Amino acid sequence: MAPATEAARPDDLYAVLGLAPRASAEQVERAYRFWLELYGEGTLGTYSLLEPEEAETQRSRVREAYEVLGNAERRREYDESRGFEPPELVAEPGGPAAGRPGGPVSPAAVTGASLRQYRESRGVSLGQIASVTKIGQRYLEYIEEDRFSMLPAAVYLRGFLQQYALFLGLDPRAVAQEYMGRIPKA
Amino acid sequence: MAEALPGTTVARREIWSVGGGKGGIGKSLIAASVGWQLARMGRRVVLVDADLGGANLHTCLGLPPSGRSLADFIQRRVPNLEEVMVEAGAPNLRLISGASDLLSAANIKHLQKLRVIQQIRGLEVDVVLIDLGAGTSFNSLDFFLLSDVSILAVVPEPTSIENGYRFIKSALYRRLRTLARTDWVRALVDIALDPKNEEGIRTPLDLLTRVERQDRDAADELRRGMTRFQPRFVVNEVRDEADVNIGFQLVAACARHLGLRATYAGFVHHEDAVWQAMRRRRLFMTDAPTSRAAEEIRKVTRALVKGESLGSGY
Repeated sequence: MAPATEAARPDDLYAVLGLAPRASAEQVERAYRFWLELYGEGTLGTYSLLEPEEAETQRSRVREAYEVLGNAERRREYDESRGFEPPELVAEPGGPAAGRPGGPVSPAAVTGASLRQYRESRGVSLGQIASVTKIGQRYLEYIEEDRFSMLPAAVYLRGFLQQYALFLGLDPRAVAQEYMGRIPKA
Repeated sequence: MAEALPGTTVARREIWSVGGGKGGIGKSLIAASVGWQLARMGRRVVLVDADLGGANLHTCLGLPPSGRSLADFIQRRVPNLEEVMVEAGAPNLRLISGASDLLSAANIKHLQKLRVIQQIRGLEVDVVLIDLGAGTSFNSLDFFLLSDVSILAVVPEPTSIENGYRFIKSALYRRLRTLARTDWVRALVDIALDPKNEEGIRTPLDLLTRVERQDRDAADELRRGMTRFQPRFVVNEVRDEADVNIGFQLVAACARHLGLRATYAGFVHHEDAVWQAMRRRRLFMTDAPTSRAAEEIRKVTRALVKGESLGSGY
């Protein structure tokens, strides 16, 4: 599939993610992670090309595009408004196209293990998340290992969890809330 | 014995070049090994060491300093480039060395450069592969721009990526300046060369928008020139997946922020076998032919011949 040219279609959400309108849900996810990483703070491929503010603007656009295209319902509405054909269906049991009727999903029970399983099923390494979010990799490991005593203060942890979830296309608020709800009160 | 590659016959003489803006990133090694592989695939190849200030392509090939070099042609001590061409240790492969004791050769004049280009175009070979020096001198940029296959080597380090972008932008603006048919467009290109210019032109795409506002035909002409410029990235000395992904990032960033259709020809792993061969003053393609780096050079060369890219990275 030839990636869309963003310069030619600046208001097209597919072009923001470098996709054609019939891209599968899995392609949308992969593209989202790619562009988010590309515009990450200090990313080697762009840090000397873009001013930090410009990179931040691009990150926002990528997130906005994903909020629509990563949500089956909102994507259908968007496609209809633009006259686009429905996306290619990916017959992958349990794949991104299968279990996402209403938007970014959260693992059923948000535990460190379930987060790790979800991340690994998407082929994402902790290093990639650390590189884009600038969260120390050891904190990400503590999160996935449920090592609550090693985690930072709640105010920081909430942000870490939300960024982790955003990277994976999960609902950031739900993930943070459910995960933090499991931490024993001191 | 030469490897046959069906359907990829080089139909005419092609000029290839390897640039990168920064020194010490393996440009010469890539030029030597890709040239060696092309020769093995049956192409008649001549390598040209245009890094006149720091020529060492001969060493990468395991050859002693040549008695004859490009400087002899530039200084008119020989009438043509064939006179300074030497066998390079493999069938179909020859070298025009840049090694010279002539310090001023590093800064050849415009007319001298035109003579070299004219002679290069007349060589009876299939591929002329030029190893460019570091930096963004007009000589390097012009050789890069005239090439049919312009290879941009980088390593996964900030300094290399920065210089790589600087090299691409310098080459692109030089191409656009050449294409500009009016003084005001040329003046705008000159303004764009200053990244902090007051016109707000930060990228070649900004420049196009600015020109388009006044003269759509002139903008179309520039756009066509940009389309013809297609650098092909090779990421050298990668160590992990994140390093490999840098090639995809560069292609995506070039398309979106510079308006360039670059491609990602491939990557070469950092490997002990390469520097061990270098210390023995032998090319790793012959010294360690089963190494990962040698296999990756074979893949890179095939991708370059076919004009293929590794894809989008997603």
